Amino acid sequence: MHLEIRNLSKFFGQFQALANVDLEVGSDEFVCLLGPSGCGKTTLLRIIAGLEPFDRGTLELGGRDLAGLSAQHRGFGIVFQSYSLFPHMTVAENIGYGLRIRKAARAEIAAKVGQLMELVHLPEYAQRYPHQLSGGQQQRVAIARALATDPALLLLDEPLSALDARVRAELRTEIREVQRRLGIPTIMVTHDQEEALTMADKVVCMNAGTIEQIGTPHEVYSRPRTRFVADFVGISNLLEPARVAALDPGVARSQPAGGAHLLALRPEDILVNPDPAGEGRVDAVTYLGNINRIALNWRGLELVAETHRGLSLGSGALEPGARVSVAVAPQAGVWVLA
Amino acid sequence: MSAVTTSSAAPKARNPGIPAQARLLYATAFIVPMIGLAVFFLYPLGLIVLRSFTQRDGSLGVGNYADVLAMGHIGRVLGNSLVMSGLTTLICVVLGFAIAYALQRTKLPFQWLISVALILPLLAPSLVQALGLIFLFGRNGVINQFTGWNLQIYGLWGLVISNAMYALPQAVMIIQASLRHSDVRQYDAAMVMGASPWRRFVDITLPNARFGLLSAGFVCFTVTITDFGNAAVIGGNYRVLATEIYAQVVGQMNFNMGAVIGIFLLIPTLLAFYIEKVAAQRQSGGGSESAIPVGRNLLAARDIPLGLVSHLTALFLIAVVATVVFASFVSLWPYRMDLTLRNYNITTQGGYAPLWTSLVVSVQTAVIGVVMLFALVVAQRRLSRGAAKVVYLLAIVPVGVPGLVLGLSYVLSFNVANSVLGMLYGTTLLIALCNFYHYHSQGFLTMVTGIRTVPPALEETVTCMGGSALHGLRDAILPVMLPTLVAVFFFLFMRSMVTLSAVIFLITPRLSVGAVSVLRLDQAGFTTQAAAFSVCIMAVVLSALALMKLALWLVSRRPAAHVTA
Repeated sequence: MHLEIRNLSKFFGQFQALANVDLEVGSDEFVCLLGPSGCGKTTLLRIIAGLEPFDRGTLELGGRDLAGLSAQHRGFGIVFQSYSLFPHMTVAENIGYGLRIRKAARAEIAAKVGQLMELVHLPEYAQRYPHQLSGGQQQRVAIARALATDPALLLLDEPLSALDARVRAELRTEIREVQRRLGIPTIMVTHDQEEALTMADKVVCMNAGTIEQIGTPHEVYSRPRTRFVADFVGISNLLEPARVAALDPGVARSQPAGGAHLLALRPEDILVNPDPAGEGRVDAVTYLGNINRIALNWRGLELVAETHRGLSLGSGALEPGARVSVAVAPQAGVWVLA
Repeated sequence: MSAVTTSSAAPKARNPGIPAQARLLYATAFIVPMIGLAVFFLYPLGLIVLRSFTQRDGSLGVGNYADVLAMGHIGRVLGNSLVMSGLTTLICVVLGFAIAYALQRTKLPFQWLISVALILPLLAPSLVQALGLIFLFGRNGVINQFTGWNLQIYGLWGLVISNAMYALPQAVMIIQASLRHSDVRQYDAAMVMGASPWRRFVDITLPNARFGLLSAGFVCFTVTITDFGNAAVIGGNYRVLATEIYAQVVGQMNFNMGAVIGIFLLIPTLLAFYIEKVAAQRQSGGGSESAIPVGRNLLAARDIPLGLVSHLTALFLIAVVATVVFASFVSLWPYRMDLTLRNYNITTQGGYAPLWTSLVVSVQTAVIGVVMLFALVVAQRRLSRGAAKVVYLLAIVPVGVPGLVLGLSYVLSFNVANSVLGMLYGTTLLIALCNFYHYHSQGFLTMVTGIRTVPPALEETVTCMGGSALHGLRDAILPVMLPTLVAVFFFLFMRSMVTLSAVIFLITPRLSVGAVSVLRLDQAGFTTQAAAFSVCIMAVVLSALALMKLALWLVSRRPAAHVTA
């Protein structure tokens, strides 16, 4: 089904947590709400779940108004960061819980539980208790539990944030596969831009209670609309219009009309080469394994560039103070709202 | 009812709200304990204030206060109480800190002996300490008999010693808890910066324990200034407020004067309560969730004196209770020390009937208490922050009300003819309710700590999966809260078995409790029989303690003992 949010606002006392939010989630879409802590993404998820009331706007699923429907009766699946499994129930009992509440037949529950345990690759753990499982396994059980009742919408509240980096990467792929296979519309909250970019069909960038941009991962990375998005999804060099003149004429297209703008330049679009006669001077180099991040001063601009190791630096390490020549990739740079 | 929603500013249509069934559940869970607090705590307390201002001719005024202040001895009695409680508090806090430190930070041998000794005073009514002291140091005590000395144990010092024994375990528990939460990294940081052991003690240990020390002082002061049992048995001519109020009410049937003295008793306690609250607010922060506990070490210069003090105190506690147990088997203390079971053949003062009454009362107290407190904390979780704070304050105020004052207020409220409330008078239920509200605060605080371990996401999961509020209670809250419920149940049971100060006013010729029997037997001169009766009470409480350990062990073996998040 198709979720539609129109002009939704939410206040906590005087504080406006969400301001005029508009969002659509297609019937088999995976949507990520991305933003820093306090941006309202979790509040939005909780409103969709029915765990939190809202003050203005509409919330509809498949044309049906959800505003008067309590969380208990919405029929959504939810997974929290903290796993939240019932500690006194086995894995199988946890997964079958929603069906037991619905008074489903015993055989039906057993069949569904077996099927879901296959789906999340835990068939041999049916009789274990949550505390006997690893974090990643517990989160798999939580996902299976949320899916057991064939939810109309799957809600994931930072489901991977408590896990190790490696398990997190594994589960990213697994969650996405399961979601594609079952075709359930899914909304995931995350503050991790890499997670959002790798998993989502649609990324919703949020800041201070408003949506800054909605788009595919490629769109929000390569064509950020606002300064916040350019800076939060990846990093950007943000240049004042007056300073753009320092760039080669081919790079800086004319500034769009209406409102103050900045030019956002991705670090990988700034090409750096060691050159004793170069106009740039290296201020600092941060070694990140596969890449080097170089802070440099060029024609009076403070820039950050990224280069793959060995690609442009040769064997000689780039030291602070070294002279470099700097070029900006053709077609690079996007004008964003300041 | 409007208080029982998750948010205050929620206009009509946009609020999915709480389903009617859940609304009803939370409303009941909120309203029933609140009515309980109103009828069985606030109303009686209000009445005692009113009665203290009701003059002999029925008009309102400060006449009773004037009368009480005009009584020549009242200033002395008040002074006596303050001196006695002050001394006791000082001793308990100093000794309590030494013992808590020994138990928490040193490798002193035989720590289990100290721990066992500290349990003893909790097993019996407070007057058992006084009883034991009298067997040892009284006019007919073994010491005076065999040395020919003339030690005077009755009076201030006897009272201070017996009250200190009674309050010490509570002081140790509180201070130990504050020492337990220190973080070893603070000590490591100080050591790296060059601080000596003494500097570390002064700069880290003491400041961290400051709040624990203050709390312990507050508890010791409150329980001793209002304690009735020891004062009645060993106080002798040293009159204190607790015995004075009893004399006014039971001796002279002067309820209004009793009410005035009750108000006097409330003042120092409420003052201490307030000071502690203010200090508690300043203490926030500091300890982190991930604190690494401080280890134990051995330091001769510190541990030899510390061990001497701790073990001598422990031995003294054990000796006094052991004396009572021994005396219960002796035919005529201290003249004929041959062993006999005759003391256990108690026929006066209703025989063993009061012991069974105590048992019934205690079970009622525990059951009512667990249900009401559980309901209250479940409901409180749903309240807005402000409302929750009001409930919290109301729930912990009873700790500031001395048992004697509560008991007197119950007589004023429930010993009335032609009223629904009057029908409760003379029943075990009323005594049980009195005991419950007497220990309401401690039980409530334990419950609050317990429900904090229930992850909110667990309840929300139940809701999102289509579970009702009852499902949430059964599947999310109860399994995690079970150890807390067991602990609160047995806490209320054990306290109810031994408390004396409140119930002393509620017994009738037909209905009495065990702790009162011990007092009556002692006052009637049957001291060895009083000892025998105390031993029976201790046996019951000890069994309850063993049952609790067993129940907690069983509970800890369940999978639910492992809560993630």
